[in-house]
Amino acid sequence: MLADLLQNTFDGLAAGASYALVALGFTLIFGVLRRANLSYGPAIMLGCYAAAAVSAQRPGLGLAVLALIAIVVSVLAGAYVERLCFAPHRRGSGIAAMAASFALWMQLEELAVLLLPRHVVAFPALYGDDPIAFAGLAIRVESLVALGTAGAVCALLAWVLYRTRFGISVRAVIASPLAAEIAGIRTGRIFFLVFALASAIGGLAGFLVAATDAQLTPMMGMWFTLKGLVAMMLGGLGSLPGAVLGALALGLVEAHSQWFLGPQLRDFVVYLLLFCLLAAAPKWMRTHSAS
Amino acid sequence: MSALLEVKDLVTAYGKIEALKGVSLEVREGSITCLLGPNGAGKTTLMMTIAGILKPRSGSIRFSGREIARQPPHAIVGAGVALVPENRLVFPGMSVLENLHAGAYARRDDEIEADIGRLFERFPRLRERAEQDAGTLSGGEQQMLAVARALMSRPKLLLMDEPSLGLAPLVVDEIFRTIADLHRDGTTIFLVEQNAHMALRVAHHFYLIEQGRVTFSGDPGSLAEDEVIRRAYLGSARR
Amino acid sequence: MDAYALGLLTNVGLLGFLALSAYLMLLAGEMSFGQQAFFGVGAYAGGMLTAMAGWPLPLAAVAAMAAGALAALAVALPTLRLRGLYFAMATLAAAEMARIGFELLQWQVDRGGEQVGPDGTQGFRGIRWVFESGLAPEAWAALVWLLLAAVLALAALAERSRLGAMLRAVGEDPGLAAALGLDVDRFKLGVIAAAGALAALGGVLFAHHNTYIEPRNFDIMLGVHSLAYALIGGLGTAFGPLVGVLLDVGLLEGTRVFHGYRMIAFGGLVALLLVLRPRGLLDEAAVRWLGRRFS
Repeated sequence: MLADLLQNTFDGLAAGASYALVALGFTLIFGVLRRANLSYGPAIMLGCYAAAAVSAQRPGLGLAVLALIAIVVSVLAGAYVERLCFAPHRRGSGIAAMAASFALWMQLEELAVLLLPRHVVAFPALYGDDPIAFAGLAIRVESLVALGTAGAVCALLAWVLYRTRFGISVRAVIASPLAAEIAGIRTGRIFFLVFALASAIGGLAGFLVAATDAQLTPMMGMWFTLKGLVAMMLGGLGSLPGAVLGALALGLVEAHSQWFLGPQLRDFVVYLLLFCLLAAAPKWMRTHSAS
Repeated sequence: MSALLEVKDLVTAYGKIEALKGVSLEVREGSITCLLGPNGAGKTTLMMTIAGILKPRSGSIRFSGREIARQPPHAIVGAGVALVPENRLVFPGMSVLENLHAGAYARRDDEIEADIGRLFERFPRLRERAEQDAGTLSGGEQQMLAVARALMSRPKLLLMDEPSLGLAPLVVDEIFRTIADLHRDGTTIFLVEQNAHMALRVAHHFYLIEQGRVTFSGDPGSLAEDEVIRRAYLGSARR
Repeated sequence: MDAYALGLLTNVGLLGFLALSAYLMLLAGEMSFGQQAFFGVGAYAGGMLTAMAGWPLPLAAVAAMAAGALAALAVALPTLRLRGLYFAMATLAAAEMARIGFELLQWQVDRGGEQVGPDGTQGFRGIRWVFESGLAPEAWAALVWLLLAAVLALAALAERSRLGAMLRAVGEDPGLAAALGLDVDRFKLGVIAAAGALAALGGVLFAHHNTYIEPRNFDIMLGVHSLAYALIGGLGTAFGPLVGVLLDVGLLEGTRVFHGYRMIAFGGLVALLLVLRPRGLLDEAAVRWLGRRFS
């Protein structure tokens, strides 16, 4: 029983690590634009599909190359979404931008299906052998990679945001887009670069999830968008450390409720938790700054 | 003295409502020029238009003889015009030092640290709070920070929108001392103020703006101070 | 008219109800990601009443609409204070809970030797009231469109009245509307209930049109689609959402010009359209222009 609890906690944290990357990307975009990018997940999915398509043509390619392809294509798709959905709607209501990002979701999904028409597409596995047994737990190597990568990305992102010129201007835009513009910061360029950065993080997360599951489906786009949105909301909309905590909490809640209640109720529990948190609207759900 | 800033027939509108209905004025190099007027007269709109945040519908803005109307804000900052916005708008969640670095975003030289050192000498309170979250500073300190952030771009012309707004009298005195200091060190200043009494003491020249139009221009003393104050607060329309 | 075209036409009408429901929410200033849940509630409630309890469709439709309105109120009451993305996410969470609820719903009764009723993820088959009552497909399509026309006529009337002005005032500036003496919360709840009932009506008709429904029909994709229809068509008139549906289902699927690339064409078209007209094709300005032109 205790072993199960520990095992679920470990698996939940590992899943949460992947969610954390997606939630960080979502939060970065939301932080600077105050807009939700529904196409974030589908852009990641397209990146993974591109990697899978290349891998199907040239099976011998290393995983690092595939990760790079996933990241580059995610960034390109993200940049396309920014130019068409967000750059034109900088002023005015966020609803048009969000609807436009949904429209491009449809495009990206169909592109992925045209690229690889089968419903489920194989993806090279990150690690083929059995889990490592450690202190009564079955530790999957993929989980360790996910946890390590998420930790490294968080550290790198913290360094960029707090120690570089670019990072300071990003945080200035997050704190107040108007004041940043007055201070001479090229906000349009920051928006674009943040989109690219968030998409790169997303592409890496997508690669990790795809290589862990060893498969892809077109549903992955929606899956990423939903998980990212939920984790971002759970962590208090707009806070980067909150997004990481929200993602880990999401992973833990999912792992434990799946164990005790099964997969259907697992999702139900997550949505119920989100609904109750929103309805109760405690103060920490209302943070808007990312620092 | 030649005109550093020349605004001609400037019209800025929010949808169908014209906030500036053809404003013309100039700010001479090396002067402190003040813009007075009641609430809603278009003072902040003029400042935001000069800074490039709002796009004018027509008219021209020339800085050092070069047209800057319709240029993006960062280009205007790069040309040497910096705005200290109304309500200060420091970056909360970022330290004082980071706020200053954000103000130097457009610069690529290696004197940024030296400039920060000089600003800390001018504003010792900011040095004491260098690592503190700017959102936790007092109103007066935030105003100093907003001025210092604007100075980080090494402006030739400093636009200041209501720097004394909501501050205690002692702090207001300090702000005006700073304005006089900056002017002495060679910065041209274009100041929007509600506090006409204080403004007229430092200004070389002033304009009155009412309902989007300049209605008077002159030197302090060319119009009785109580008349200026009356029109600056109430507007001449309600005479 | 061939069967394909007729089915398409009926589908446009059915989705029209849902798009109108999303449109109503947008006018009241709320972006809902969850109207598909009330479409689903209507479909399940209506289907169970006719197929399991043997009610006639009109009566079942009224009951389903009431169920849709109640469900919408149940979601809205605890979340009325939320704005923007917070409200959108709360409605999304509620709608996904409803969909999982449909997946868990297992309740079948014996009707003439056949087990009829919701069977979890296997869906709910045998909603055959239309077929059993001998309605021809043409008559059924006409019925759907007559109902939609009635709703649209009502909406058009309401938009010209004080009610429409109040609705837009609440959506654009709730603070001002409250200052003018309007009970904004109660008004909003009324709108939300009406939007829920409208979606449920679409759902009942959808269930009886297809005779088979499954939980997957009512996923988030349907909800975001209906939101997109309302936005593409335009926020200026109740006919806007219908234009949105026609553009997607009618033009792109119907003409089959972009066969295999339909979503790429649709997605690009919508994104470009929103750049040019952020409040949709038939936005307020376009509606005023048309009004001057034809009056």
